[in-house]
Amino acid sequence: MNRRTVIKNLALVIGGAVLLPSCMSHDGTSYVQLKHVNIDEDQQRLIADVAETIIPKTNTPGAKDLNLPAFVLKMIDDCYDKKRQQAFVAGLKAFTSMVKTKYGKQFGDLDIKQREIILTGIEKSANAVKAAKPVKPDPITGFYWDVKRQTIFGYTTSQYFMTKQIVYELVPGRYIVHYPIKKLNLKSA
Amino acid sequence: MSANTYDAIVIGSGISGGWAAKELTEKGLKTIMLERGRNIEHIKDYVNANKDPWEFPHRGGRTQQMIEDYPVLKRDYPLNETNLDYWASDKDSPYTEVKRFDWFRGYHVGGRSLMWGRQSYRWADVDFEANLKDGIGTDWPIRYKDIAPWYSYAEQFAGISGNKDHLAILPDGDFMPPMEMNVVEKDVSKRLMAFYKDQRAMVIGRTANITLPHNNRTNCQYRNKCWLGCPFGAYFSTQSATLPAAMATKNLTVRPWSIVTKILYDKDTKKAKGVEVLDAETNQTYEYFAKIIFVNASALNSAWILMNSATDIWPGGLGSSSGELGHNVMDHHLGVGASGTVEGYDDKYYFGRRANGIYIPRYRNLNGEKRDYIRGFGYQGGAGRENWSRDIAEMNIGGAFKDALTEPGTWSMGIGGFGETLPYHENKITLDKTKKDKWGLNILSFDVEVKDNERKMRIDMENDAKEMLEAAGVKNVHSFTSKGVLGRGIHEMGTARMGRDPKTSVLNEWNQVWDAKNVFVTDGAAMASAACQNPSLTYMALTARAANHAVEELKKNNI
Repeated sequence: MNRRTVIKNLALVIGGAVLLPSCMSHDGTSYVQLKHVNIDEDQQRLIADVAETIIPKTNTPGAKDLNLPAFVLKMIDDCYDKKRQQAFVAGLKAFTSMVKTKYGKQFGDLDIKQREIILTGIEKSANAVKAAKPVKPDPITGFYWDVKRQTIFGYTTSQYFMTKQIVYELVPGRYIVHYPIKKLNLKSA
Repeated sequence: MSANTYDAIVIGSGISGGWAAKELTEKGLKTIMLERGRNIEHIKDYVNANKDPWEFPHRGGRTQQMIEDYPVLKRDYPLNETNLDYWASDKDSPYTEVKRFDWFRGYHVGGRSLMWGRQSYRWADVDFEANLKDGIGTDWPIRYKDIAPWYSYAEQFAGISGNKDHLAILPDGDFMPPMEMNVVEKDVSKRLMAFYKDQRAMVIGRTANITLPHNNRTNCQYRNKCWLGCPFGAYFSTQSATLPAAMATKNLTVRPWSIVTKILYDKDTKKAKGVEVLDAETNQTYEYFAKIIFVNASALNSAWILMNSATDIWPGGLGSSSGELGHNVMDHHLGVGASGTVEGYDDKYYFGRRANGIYIPRYRNLNGEKRDYIRGFGYQGGAGRENWSRDIAEMNIGGAFKDALTEPGTWSMGIGGFGETLPYHENKITLDKTKKDKWGLNILSFDVEVKDNERKMRIDMENDAKEMLEAAGVKNVHSFTSKGVLGRGIHEMGTARMGRDPKTSVLNEWNQVWDAKNVFVTDGAAMASAACQNPSLTYMALTARAANHAVEELKKNNI
């Protein structure tokens, strides 16, 4: 990635940051004030760390750069009903204590490899259970799917992704039936 | 009185009301169009039309607050963040459900012409002859030849893109160039034709999106955001098409916030002399007078106005002499179909967002076939590559996963059925005298449901969808079905049907109320049967035809 792209990305990131009323917490990360559900600072930090593990910063921006944790929280706060919000928080707490029991640490204090092992572990066991019998996901899996679903939704509909990673035009002006697949994403264009 | 006197009154400003206003004003009649809701000005008031996806705080989703505010709209797709302002408030305008009926309304200038699905199909003779042949309801007082020139007239002005497919069941029209099927749709279409030996077809949808510039309207830009209002005027709506034409004549007055509460009937002349209007903002009542009245308030509200216009002579409302007013409620029953994935096209993609899909016209109970139900159904659908937010096997998180999200997903193809509903006398709406809306007006009560014929048809609709997709090589095909709640099709019809006999119908062959010949009803209420094609093009043609007749009759002093 050349310097000009980096600067442009940075501008987009800053431009996209003003999403929610937020205040700075003691360690400098932004803390979102929610209206309908209680998710405290530490829990918000955990959600941000899970989102960052799913969409990490590489040579392109990650979940935190793109303010996706705030988007995840907004969707859960505004769009989930009470029951689902309670299940989400219950899953969040169960996730926290599961990590604590297994690793003796907070999720955010683990290295990236350990974090990935935890999340892919949830996916694998969830898939195994689903294959055996379709059941309601356990609280931890439910929490993880919610964060993942909203993180990916937020990422793939973000201005950064739609203007810098794929070709999105508000006004395509044309419908081309055969479009070479290699032209699709800017990195390989 | 003279200040409130016009040549014609049009009640409603949606698809058919806009057409009535255009036709009447172009023929020189001073006309007032009364709309119960607010004004929406073309382009200027399409406030979300030019927003990018990331500008919607919930990316187009629905919040709990919206779900609470819209107890009816929440039942299906219309409730969303992007065009919430175009849907009527369920709380201001409630209705009673003896049986569930999903009523999705647009109370503003333009009505549902702003949010409609735009699929535009002619009916065929088999549709106009069906009631007579089956001995059901009333025989349509017209045949295809009576309406064919009006279909052409409507298509030429509205701008319908489509392909001439030479199918008897789906007559060709005066089309603009068709949109194109994508590579998967083309192959599925070919395989279907081959498998069913040309007895079934899959064609590109015929849609009221212009593909060439037309009447100062810009051709479709392939945004596929039509439901937000089109800043290019590329799809037919009152605002993009009929309203500017009517305004250009200088004969039209538009009055928003005007709830027509009743039609004023003069028992000496046996005609209507005007309407009573309740101003929705001030709650003041006014009277407007005219020689002819077009009722285009949408099928159920048009019937409401007629029912609410009771007099000593017509205690059941104007047009109630047959006992059919408010009865025979129809819609298209849907929520049944199938979808699956398509392999072998990984290197194929498309660009632009086509505001259209494919259409599989009716094939059941034709050419001598007899199922255990009568009439038939069509399918709409399409193929596309799944979006970026899918799951990718073996790679669920991390940098590589992030990169993979930029690649298009698997091809999938889905179709959903639109089934014909029969006119049942017992499927009815009535005035609920026990409940009032926020303007103190009695609300409607619904007693409408699908019956055996529809339920049997739905079994075919589900099984055929699966069979056809599998025959066309689609993999992992899953079918789906539902109870078939009416209203969801947003194709309400039948509450003031046309017929040949005043004893069994509300309107004659020219959409005139038998009991008051200067009152014309030309929206979905007029329909004697539902067919399975999307009905709006037929409303346009019927309206233009009726307006032409009205002016001729007026000149002859017959009304």
